[in-house]
Amino acid sequence: MTDAMKKHLEEKYFPRYPSKRAVLLPALHLVQHTYNWIPPQAIEEVANFLEIAPAEALDTASFYEEYWLKPKGKYLLQVCRSLTCEICQGEKLTQKLCDKLKIEVGETTADKRYTLVELECLGACGSAPVMLVNERLYENVSPDQLEDIINALPDDPHDFKDPDITWEGSSH
Amino acid sequence: MAFTEPVLTKRIPLDPEKRKLVSYSDYVATGGYEQLKKALEMAPADIIKTVTDSGLRGRGGAGFSAGQKWSFIPKEKKTTHYLTVNADESEPGTFKDRYVINHDPHLLLEGIAICSLATQCDVAYIFIRGEYHYSAKVLEHAIKEAYDHGIFSSEKGILGSGKKLEVYVHRGAGAYICGEETGLLEALEGKRGWPRNKPPFPAIAGAFAKPTVINNVETLMNVPMIIEKGPAWFKTMGTPSSPGPKLFGMSGHVNKPGVYEDELGITLDYAINKLAGGMKGGAYKASICGGISMGVLGTNQLDVKLDFDDVRFRGGCLGLGTAGMIVMNEHTDMVRALRNCVRFYSHESCGQCTPCREGSHWMRKILDRIVDGEGKAGDLTMLMELEKTMGIMPGTTICGLADGTAWATRTFISKFYDEFARACPDDPVKRVPLTISTGRFNVLTPMGSNTR
Ligand SMILES: Cc1cc2nc3c(=O)[nH]c(=O)nc-3n(C[C@H](O)[C@H](O)[C@H](O)COP(=O)(O)O)c2cc1C
Ligand code: SF4
Ligand code: FES
Repeated sequence: MTDAMKKHLEEKYFPRYPSKRAVLLPALHLVQHTYNWIPPQAIEEVANFLEIAPAEALDTASFYEEYWLKPKGKYLLQVCRSLTCEICQGEKLTQKLCDKLKIEVGETTADKRYTLVELECLGACGSAPVMLVNERLYENVSPDQLEDIINALPDDPHDFKDPDITWEGSSH
Repeated sequence: MAFTEPVLTKRIPLDPEKRKLVSYSDYVATGGYEQLKKALEMAPADIIKTVTDSGLRGRGGAGFSAGQKWSFIPKEKKTTHYLTVNADESEPGTFKDRYVINHDPHLLLEGIAICSLATQCDVAYIFIRGEYHYSAKVLEHAIKEAYDHGIFSSEKGILGSGKKLEVYVHRGAGAYICGEETGLLEALEGKRGWPRNKPPFPAIAGAFAKPTVINNVETLMNVPMIIEKGPAWFKTMGTPSSPGPKLFGMSGHVNKPGVYEDELGITLDYAINKLAGGMKGGAYKASICGGISMGVLGTNQLDVKLDFDDVRFRGGCLGLGTAGMIVMNEHTDMVRALRNCVRFYSHESCGQCTPCREGSHWMRKILDRIVDGEGKAGDLTMLMELEKTMGIMPGTTICGLADGTAWATRTFISKFYDEFARACPDDPVKRVPLTISTGRFNVLTPMGSNTR
């Protein structure tokens, strides 16, 4: 954790909660946003910073699916697999991505650019099938569109913005 | 029943092309934050009475009276009170909260402020699921606008009244169980989202062991209009026991999937054919009734009324849940559909209670092999036996997730028995009569009573 990260948490999140431990989820989000995963050293540092045992921080971090305790690709392709998406042919998206990237679900491409996972309902069933690429949601996706979606991703994921967000602001 | 025009979604045009994010100035220009001013003039007890009289029931799944829930918060304030807004929305088939947050976030903020006045809350956390990146940013932006315009103020309180309220967004991190209200509180406190044993109830010892209100996004969005137009007006919509407007999430095999606002008590037929543009790709076969945890409505149940009661007593489902309907046409394989649901529960079980953790895992294995054409004699019997052992209703689990597993399994198998039996040809079980809920339990809420 850099000093800037600590300062950010101290200023933005410490005043929000009556306990330091409650800052754990925001802190883990921040670490992951910065490094793209949560290395063991970060768990240790976050724990020290929040004055909890490293085991407690790890206990929490390992419970939540969104936190990656091992490295993942620059782009996390997350296809919904729950009921609406399944009956609206969402499996075809996964299949197409596997074929194109030559990986199975859960794997990362050799160039570390893409990791493919399936998630449960993304809360966008009205526009099934859907997928989330890092923080951006793609709705009513057809397998034919995948090529374009992937090719349009910039080299640096920090340059990958949601065009619907027209104001300044962050949730980290 | 009389529902003439959208009230909850009055600022969100039906035409997707015309929809946009309602900004602070748009909101105020259309009467926004006027009800907050009105509520500031009211005593907390009067706000609670107005909301109780309106009959507003929780929109997060359990349908518990909102006013009554607020009345459990200690009247005499001795310590910090918290409001936690449940925007975890992860129940498959449910996408209504995301829709209203993405378009009209200030309506939620006004509801939060009024609820906080009524229950003397000092801090409100909007707990939003981690995957809702865009919505979290929308909310943070709206909160900033509200602070910039003095709706909230750390120094001067709500609209300069001195009544302090801080509003924050707290992001989850990908766990369905954090939608369960005490799992949510654990996640808020920086722990794994393990639901708590109750009592103590959150109204007495919730977030950080302080009195805590937990309400769904849509529930709170109903509050400003109740303050504006009163309980009698609110009750002109819906049915006597389920008054008011409701967001229906229509997805699956319909021509116009999306979120539709209508009143409680419309029929499933109306929801599919009038709201969602009719069936797509084949005739109607089944519909998930309000999120998969509520179970499924069968082919001959199009006349069931979508309110908190009819889906239970006539529909044979667990409840209306979130009113997220997943509509399936005649080509849908019910065995696969149930497998999908059970896979969800086995994946999302938090693992604390053996019947839920092991039960859903075994059920998933059984369904996997049935789907693969290897259904064994005894598999259906085993599924139905397992299903009866898990949940708050049989009293074997801490939270209602396992009841969802049970009701999905029970309703799918009982309503589409032939299809399951065909997939397990040697099974000796005879067709079972549909289990109808007695309505004695209110599973998803720890307050434990229903309001009929
Ligand atoms: C497993 C489980 C998941 C739940 N998920 C949600 C959810 O995502 N959103 C929600 O508002 N309520 C959810 N609930 C219901 C909440 O526990 C709680 O009843 C609700 O938030 C109360 O708000 P209301 O009274 O305004 O409906 C869930 C319940 C269970 C048992
Ligand atoms: S019922 Fe399941 S999800 Fe709920 S507390 Fe028990 S194990 Fe966890
Ligand atoms: S089922 Fe895929 S978004 Fe809900």
